[in-house]
Amino acid sequence: MKIAIVDYGMGNIKSLESILKHLGAPEVNYTKNPESLFSSDKVILPGVGSFGEAIDNIEKRGLRAIIEELAIERKKTFLGICLGMQIMANSSEEAPDKKGLGLIQGNLTRFPHSKLTKVPHVGFNQVEFGNDSTLFKGLSSGCDFYFTHSFKLTNNSNIQKGICRYGEEFIAAFEQENLFGTQFHPELSQQNGLALMDNFLRAKQC
Amino acid sequence: MAKKIYWCKNCLNMSTRNRISFDERGWCNACQWMEEKKTLDWTPRLEELKALTNKYRSKDGGFDCIVPVSGGKDGSYVAYMLKHKFGMNPLAVTVRPALSLALGDQNLKNFIDSGYDHIHLSPNTKAMQKLNKFGFIEKGFPYYGWLIAIKAAVLKTALKFDIPLVFYGEDGEVEYGGSTESKNRSHVDVEYVKRIYFEGGYEKVFKKVFEEGEISDSELYFFNFPTDEELNGKEIIHAHWSYFENWDSYRNYVIAKEHCNLLEKEEGNTGTFTNFSQNDQALYNLHVYLMYLKYGFGRATQDAGIEIRRGAMDREQALNLVRMYDNSYPEEYIELYLNYYDMTLAEFNNVLDKYANTDLFEKVDGKWEPKFSPGEEFTI
Amino acid sequence: MLRKRVIFTLIYNDGNFIQSRNFRHQKVGNIKWLENNYKFQKISYSLDELIIINASKENKNTQDFSNCVSKLVEKVFIPVCAGGGITSMKDAEVLFNKGADKIILNTALYSNPELVKSLSLKYGAQSIIASIDYKKINNKYCVYINNGEDNIELPLDEYINHINKLNVGEIYLNSIDKDGTGFGYDLSPLSFIQNKITTPLIIAGGAGNSSHLIEGLSHESVSAVATANLFNFVGDGLPKARREMIALGVNLAKWEEYSKE
Repeated sequence: MKIAIVDYGMGNIKSLESILKHLGAPEVNYTKNPESLFSSDKVILPGVGSFGEAIDNIEKRGLRAIIEELAIERKKTFLGICLGMQIMANSSEEAPDKKGLGLIQGNLTRFPHSKLTKVPHVGFNQVEFGNDSTLFKGLSSGCDFYFTHSFKLTNNSNIQKGICRYGEEFIAAFEQENLFGTQFHPELSQQNGLALMDNFLRAKQC
Repeated sequence: MAKKIYWCKNCLNMSTRNRISFDERGWCNACQWMEEKKTLDWTPRLEELKALTNKYRSKDGGFDCIVPVSGGKDGSYVAYMLKHKFGMNPLAVTVRPALSLALGDQNLKNFIDSGYDHIHLSPNTKAMQKLNKFGFIEKGFPYYGWLIAIKAAVLKTALKFDIPLVFYGEDGEVEYGGSTESKNRSHVDVEYVKRIYFEGGYEKVFKKVFEEGEISDSELYFFNFPTDEELNGKEIIHAHWSYFENWDSYRNYVIAKEHCNLLEKEEGNTGTFTNFSQNDQALYNLHVYLMYLKYGFGRATQDAGIEIRRGAMDREQALNLVRMYDNSYPEEYIELYLNYYDMTLAEFNNVLDKYANTDLFEKVDGKWEPKFSPGEEFTI
Repeated sequence: MLRKRVIFTLIYNDGNFIQSRNFRHQKVGNIKWLENNYKFQKISYSLDELIIINASKENKNTQDFSNCVSKLVEKVFIPVCAGGGITSMKDAEVLFNKGADKIILNTALYSNPELVKSLSLKYGAQSIIASIDYKKINNKYCVYINNGEDNIELPLDEYINHINKLNVGEIYLNSIDKDGTGFGYDLSPLSFIQNKITTPLIIAGGAGNSSHLIEGLSHESVSAVATANLFNFVGDGLPKARREMIALGVNLAKWEEYSKE
């Protein structure tokens, strides 16, 4: 199985490579090369930083069309992590003039600041999800994952979601056919993250 | 007859320690005293200290008390308190150890420079060496001569300078788990010192050393306690600061650092996890290793006990450190020792072997290893 | 519900890991010592985060430091923050490339705030921890930079106002007076700064045992407690502390037992 991590210049690749190696993924490529991406079985879209810069980087490398093809036409098993998940949506308050990849419907808004819920949302928090989840298979609903973000995804559709609460509910993870996304960092979430990444590796390809 | 070896339930003091006692919970007397101190009303003791200092405070600018110091945290703290909080004019006195370390020398200089008058006593080197070597071989106390001198020479100095008040730091017996005889006494007398500190061996040592006929009376001047004749009715008050105020050696370290420019070793000391105490002489490592071989506990256990009692660490945490550091052959200064005692390595190790308690230790690949697991009761 | 966190801070100085006491360093051992006595692969399951600080005073040798960071990151699946001596975008880039999830800045907050803003813009506020070292002198809170050597004119509350404008993710508040002492955390500034701090707060300095960690976390305004006490938590110290805290009901993350089939 070949895993490709999309290289658009953002994201903590070392942690991702480390966890995939630990789980025994045979081949992991950090690449922006179209052939390499197209020939992979599963794709991970990482991301740490800001929405605007992420979109700019994607555009600069001509990756928008490639990602669309990977996700929509070729239906690769696709996982967006943190900022990577965020850019799969339509837009973000963080960079109102930038267009997201639009792979799923939804927009990102800033967490409102309050004394009890400071921004950014940093630390382990519980994620609730349904029984039929692929990503969370074998895990108990409400288990802890590591978050670090100031913007959150809201979405009105019936997309299968994992919910987290920080002042208000927001989408912590989603699954839609071949598309997966986690706002939290599975590679920084101890055993829970290991289990989730393992599930991703084992997920049937579409 | 089978004997149980056990550890204090609060700190890691061992039942093998001389003069230690335990209560029904299994807490040693050092820990019981720590508890007592929490609710102890220190006011009467503080008043005693005020009365004592008021009584002896110099009216003409002369010295009014003696503080034995090594340049380390404890003596520095006591000197600092006497000078700055009690308005005394202390004369600091150091009895030069046999194998002094550069860091110790530097710390002593820093202490003096921070504002204290000081006398550096160098007891006769030959006598010191003979007594130390004798102590090492016959009693497993590698700086026996120095231990005598820090009492005898200081008391003699007090007498000669006509300063009747001497403040030592802590009463180790009370603070660390020994005899509780002096717990409620502000000062002790020469008889107590000889009996407890020298475990009754003082006279024996002198007799032996004289018999060998290699040292003269005059060379032993600084090792002889003042006689009754010399005292001529004068009293010398051998007081422990730890009677008057809660003894906290970490606090002493902080004060010494801030006010007397105390420096630490760059790395931890052999046998422990600390770097800020006992940095003045090379023989200390040997002393604690012998203590380890005799009784089963080393420097790490002592330091851990201090940390536990001051609330910085718990017993479980301490066990990890004791396991890591207690068993430490004093490799660091071995050449110095051999040279000083004029012994070969084999002769030196034979002396160590003599003191290893074979109920507690066995030799594995030439090294003494404990048969026990620290903290786990066992029977010998 | 957001959990509170227990963070372990490793202080690095020129190839060695350090026990710091009031910012005076005792060399303890190199990465091999750490591997033997801390087995991070195992213990990291008792931690929420790891912070590695380069506190070398003369030669910061970022290359060696970042290699160390890289080795440590490999073994753990928790967020790792690295910093100390970051004076340029390049310094930060190296650390992120070596696997750091966040960076920690101290002196730069005061001496180069534009750098901090640029870093925040590029990597996101959540990637930046602002570290403040302070001493309490005559009931005033004095801030120090440059490894605790230089006192700056801004008192703690004003300094926090200054930092709030730099768009950082968290504040790491470290008491120099308590550092390495095992006296427990200095909770005294919390009441008057808690309304000024807009980001999550990590407190550090003085923890010796689990009761100190518990006391720190019980404070409403504290999001995380950090300890750099290498000796006190050696061996199984961290796992034991965490088990004890969870048993007492402290709000910490739990992770399911996981094993690869």
